[in-house]
Amino acid sequence: MDLLNIDRRIIFVFVFIGVAIPLMLDFSFPIKATEPVQRVFDEFERVAAEEEPVVLVSFSYGASTVPEMQPMALAILRHAFSRDIKVVAICLWPEAPGLAQQALAQVASEYGKEYGTDYAFLGYKPGLWAPIINMGQDFHDAWPRDARGTLVGDIPVTSAIRDLNDFNLVFDLAAGDSIEFWWIPFGVEKYKFAFSGGCTAVMAPDLYPFLQSDQLRGMIGGLAGAAEYEHLMEIPGSATAGMRAQSVTHLIIVAFILLGNAAYFASRRKVTA
Amino acid sequence: MTNDKKLFIGFVGLFALVNAILLGGGYLDMSWASLGVIVAAGLTISLYSFLYHDNPLFKLAEHIFVGVAAAYIFGIYWYQSLYGEVIVRLFSIGDDPGTTTQRLLLLVPSILGLLILTRLSVKIGWLSRISFAFVVGVGAGFTIPRYISAFVLSQIEPTIRPITMDMDGLNLVLIMIGVVSVLVYFFFSVEHRGFVGGVSKVGIWFLMISFGASFGYTIMARLSLLIGRVRFLLDDWLHVM
Repeated sequence: MDLLNIDRRIIFVFVFIGVAIPLMLDFSFPIKATEPVQRVFDEFERVAAEEEPVVLVSFSYGASTVPEMQPMALAILRHAFSRDIKVVAICLWPEAPGLAQQALAQVASEYGKEYGTDYAFLGYKPGLWAPIINMGQDFHDAWPRDARGTLVGDIPVTSAIRDLNDFNLVFDLAAGDSIEFWWIPFGVEKYKFAFSGGCTAVMAPDLYPFLQSDQLRGMIGGLAGAAEYEHLMEIPGSATAGMRAQSVTHLIIVAFILLGNAAYFASRRKVTA
Repeated sequence: MTNDKKLFIGFVGLFALVNAILLGGGYLDMSWASLGVIVAAGLTISLYSFLYHDNPLFKLAEHIFVGVAAAYIFGIYWYQSLYGEVIVRLFSIGDDPGTTTQRLLLLVPSILGLLILTRLSVKIGWLSRISFAFVVGVGAGFTIPRYISAFVLSQIEPTIRPITMDMDGLNLVLIMIGVVSVLVYFFFSVEHRGFVGGVSKVGIWFLMISFGASFGYTIMARLSLLIGRVRFLLDDWLHVM
């Protein structure tokens, strides 16, 4: 009975230990890319093979999901810049601009990419799905200027873009419902462009039906997805390191679930007897 | 002095001591960046202290977060939208004054936006209904056909593809059984007994598996966030990684 009434703070202590110790030790679990993540990787490879490739990356997350989303953003930006794909970044969440700028600046400096010719950052636009409809009609009308105030027509990477179909791929990094309720119904369904996304683990199960219908060509789900992408890129980052802690803590949680169930059935047998 | 007060004072003292060691030992330097790390570490620990139970440190961190987040978002809205796209255009500030037509077109949403603020007044609050009517009308007009297309029509097509004799075919069979049985479970006009009851039970199994998958992913997501914060505390703050 004691096990059934265990103080939840004891579980918290175990979870904390399960996270902290693996982070401080150096060991690894095998990481294998799942199909949705492989499909994102293949999409970027497809884009890289095209002439003057350019992708639109939409940042739709805030500070509360940085541990999951930022490694993902860094991984796809590294893939894009390493394959000389030009990147146009936008934000549809008000919290996202700082995080997007940080990720772009970091990866651009790693690969020696120039602002304007290799990438551009257009800042934040309110309206949830409204800017997506607008971009599908006239990109320059939707984003007349970048975050620095330069006209998008004067920026080499955006000057030739007329609408969403001029991007070889649109990729949304989502911590909310932007993939499911903004990009797919108002973008992909209406304008039929190539679309993939990365999302928090909470959202991933809801997005699998869109993978099956090809409305979403690939998906990176949570920290595990980011670690898989880092594995495909052969550049281990914070997601790969985080998977050690994630795996150990999952084992601890599974152990508690088994223990709790065993205690429950034992107590029930005692009551029946 | 209660145990909680002792814990509170002990925590603040320990936090100050750890930071003094980090600064004295050269792990953190006297810079704004280091101050940011110390503040972030303090706020992180304060927020996680809620796991012990509700306390003043948690409340303080919670209120700071709400205030900072609100101010940050207001700043973004102001500079990038209200000032950057409305005021600059309407009052021809900067190097791109735009055309008169563009300014007139901008007046329409600006006025509709201002009308929403009339809700603050009891006398003229009714004016906000004009804006809300516009929002509801446009929203419904855009959303209904798009949602039917994205969530119904496009989803039906992959569900009724021809079944093949491979793993994809097996997946299709499973999806078909899942869709039909869950629909039967939510069909309440027929009593769930006999054959219908059996199919509905299969639907419950599918639902339970889907809830389990969602819950598993949720645990993974929350742990990822914890990993991020613990990593910050161990690496950026304590330098023990």
